[in-house]
Amino acid sequence: MFNKEMKLEKFKDAETVIGSSVFVKGDFHGTGNIIIEGGLEGSLKTDADIYIGEKAQVTATIEAANATINGQVNGTVKVHQYLALGSTAKITGDVNFQELSVVRGALINGRLSSHGANRNKKNTPEKKGVLVEEE
Amino acid sequence: MNIYIYDDYLNKPKYNRILNRVEIRLTDLNLNGKIIRLGTIRNVSDVIQNEIKNGAKTIVAVGNNQTVSKVIGAIIDNELYGFFQKNILFSIIPIGEDNSIAESLGIKAGEEACNILLARHIKKIDIGIINNYYFLNKVSLLSAGAVLEFKDDFSLSTNQKGIIEIFNLRSATSDDKNLKVNPVDGLLDVYIKTGKGAKDLTRLATDNLKISAASAELVVDGALSLPAPANISIVRGKLNVVVGRDRSFD
Repeated sequence: MFNKEMKLEKFKDAETVIGSSVFVKGDFHGTGNIIIEGGLEGSLKTDADIYIGEKAQVTATIEAANATINGQVNGTVKVHQYLALGSTAKITGDVNFQELSVVRGALINGRLSSHGANRNKKNTPEKKGVLVEEE
Repeated sequence: MNIYIYDDYLNKPKYNRILNRVEIRLTDLNLNGKIIRLGTIRNVSDVIQNEIKNGAKTIVAVGNNQTVSKVIGAIIDNELYGFFQKNILFSIIPIGEDNSIAESLGIKAGEEACNILLARHIKKIDIGIINNYYFLNKVSLLSAGAVLEFKDDFSLSTNQKGIIEIFNLRSATSDDKNLKVNPVDGLLDVYIKTGKGAKDLTRLATDNLKISAASAELVVDGALSLPAPANISIVRGKLNVVVGRDRSFD
């Protein structure tokens, strides 16, 4: 399940791609799918999906419908639906999602919260300073 | 009425034969009109303005990419163009080398272009603007580093050797077919290719940017060189053009 979701293939037609040799500074907001393989500092927001590659270094607040993170993120991550963290993901910041999948090796240093918890009429307790190593 | 604007270089004897054939074909198709030779006039814009006043409906650049640049600039900068824009049609009869713009529009060389002109398949396309110049195809830059600023929102920088291309219209022959470029969407498509084999790709769309690069030249439609920095933007649906079946866009 995870492998399929981590793959870049579903982002093949992404409207915006930031390559590994490029650095973006500022408020990078879009409406289509975005792939980040390079550096970004500021904020990153889209109504669609975000893919952050293994070598990417992002220091920004992130907001998207769905996101796949394989690189390094320093900042708050807010995903309205589904967040997938690959084995090389390293997040320093609070993470908010509806659904989450985590592959062994991913690191999260921040508060995890799920806004999808109300679905089950049961609140998911927030965790602080979590180191997630297994799915 | 059709106005045919011939470029200077067509005075060379080697183009006599092809021009004769084109003129015969235009007559056969009942598309003949007034011929204006760029070499004999000083102010192209004034001449075109007079022709628009006199009822010109189709302005045809006969030549190559450089001819197209000169004629487009003269048409669009024209005081009367805004008023008559809906009625004025632009086309190209490509002659000789360096005709990527005509190729992008699906217009074939010589007599074939006359048939395409007759078919009058029309698209309203965007026009790119770089500083005070217009472009249809693209602006390109070979650079060891550049900064691109997008309005006040964000900037994008690279310090690696590579090619930066800003497209309005993709060339049907010389540009990668996989590029997503559409001259009717009101957006410029920015592509940055760096690394070995230009494999590291960045792409995004915008309607406005400023590009800066140390000691680098921006090549506009393969015909004009400008120094960086430059402001680049787009005007949506500015030009009614005749297009052929083999154009590079839908």
